[in-house]
Amino acid sequence: MFTRREFLEYSSLAVTTAALGPVLSRAAENVIDIPGKEGMIVRSSRFLDLEMPPEYFNTWITPASHFFVRNHMHEPSTLDADSWQLTISGEVEKPLTLKLADLKKLDSHSVTNTLECAGNGRAFHSPHVPGVQWQKGAVGNAKFTGPRLRDLLQQAGLKPTGKHVMFHGLDEVPGKVPPFIRSIPIEKATDGDTLIATQMNGAALSKHNGFPARALVPGWVGAASCKWITEIKVLEKEFEGNFMKPGYRMPNHPLKPGDPLNVDDSHVVTALQVKSVIAGPTDNWVSKSRSIAVHGTAWAGESDVVKVEVSTDSGATWQPAQLGHEQAKYAWRLWSYKRKAPGSGDFTLMSRATDSQGRVQPLKADWNPSGYLYNGVDQVKIHVQA
Amino acid sequence: MSKLKAPLSALAGFLVLALPVLRAQSPELPAAPIREKVNTACTECHESRIILQQRLSKGAWTKEVDKMIKWGAVVDAADRDAFIDYLSQNFPPDKAGEVMPRSAGSKRR
Repeated sequence: MFTRREFLEYSSLAVTTAALGPVLSRAAENVIDIPGKEGMIVRSSRFLDLEMPPEYFNTWITPASHFFVRNHMHEPSTLDADSWQLTISGEVEKPLTLKLADLKKLDSHSVTNTLECAGNGRAFHSPHVPGVQWQKGAVGNAKFTGPRLRDLLQQAGLKPTGKHVMFHGLDEVPGKVPPFIRSIPIEKATDGDTLIATQMNGAALSKHNGFPARALVPGWVGAASCKWITEIKVLEKEFEGNFMKPGYRMPNHPLKPGDPLNVDDSHVVTALQVKSVIAGPTDNWVSKSRSIAVHGTAWAGESDVVKVEVSTDSGATWQPAQLGHEQAKYAWRLWSYKRKAPGSGDFTLMSRATDSQGRVQPLKADWNPSGYLYNGVDQVKIHVQA
Repeated sequence: MSKLKAPLSALAGFLVLALPVLRAQSPELPAAPIREKVNTACTECHESRIILQQRLSKGAWTKEVDKMIKWGAVVDAADRDAFIDYLSQNFPPDKAGEVMPRSAGSKRR
């Protein structure tokens, strides 16, 4: 089923295609059939990397069909719920092997969490940095449900020597690429909101989002929340591997744009930054009315968003936006703002969020060589004709 | 939806249904003598769009090519510099951004 908007978009494409027969193949290049994922920006179809376009930032809960996908590797070629196993080993008294049915017997907990890829907004860094060129939408907000990781660790008999918890998924490694294995500290692993999630928004996880089970490390970058999880290992030390070092690290001190990262003066990326994005109007929108309605979302990782401000004059003045009533500890807030434009012409709309730690979204995000944690003030250019 | 637009959309809807499923191929890399070798070495693991969306300096492309060789990309040592030249000439920092396709996902998961 198409939504009305998608119907109109595809209708438009079809009309163009029918009227301009010779461009059929060119038009066809602009649509890719990806089961279960509708209207997403395809940054890559292999490995699958899908970005949510700005217009879908309009709901507090992001439906699975619009939830972003970030893969470093190939997705598992086979996933069978009956034969799937999760092992728990390392610094535990009783190593465990659990089936999906075993997980379902445990107490279940739900966390509504804004999951954001560490590289979201990478495309906005200057100078450009390598990697998937995400703009706004490698982020989504969903309710994740499953047993608490700490209950699993307790069942396995966590030893006092266990200081870090490693996750390994079933994704398939091409060539000599290092496997996607990362770890989180024991304090975060035993937090009551860290889950081994089997559901998203009340339904089984989709394949692209980690079926049959994934880690859910709330408030942290998406890379911490291992998909297709099959192995949990408790370690005495932080896991040492490419995706912990040199990957997924931020400089301890701001770098001059273009400078390399000194890994010995860096730290692992963990919690998300304070950030807001404008969902509408979209960039280059032409308004036939002077009434400007701006809306979007804002999130702050482990902190709470306390304020979103909007500027309609390129950042010269800022006015508070109205925050949506739906909220949860790790979830984004919707926001909206309305005002009348003083006249016709070009306007630059901006949004910036402030969180409960007093962090304010900066006009310009700190540059780093991998483009992580971009949170510069969002902006959209519009033209008012009235 | 205005009354005038409705019949047009209905016609367009018919055309949508009449069209075969639109499936995109990965776009071709820009033509050059080294293109086929780049294509073979890189798209063994990932599609061309990963390359097409990068906007990097020659220094940054050099790091990328060397990283990919370390990660298993099969590049003849004699071709390494030509790979770097090709990528940095075709995907430099000042080139306009790449427009990406949309997914037309069905309800299947």
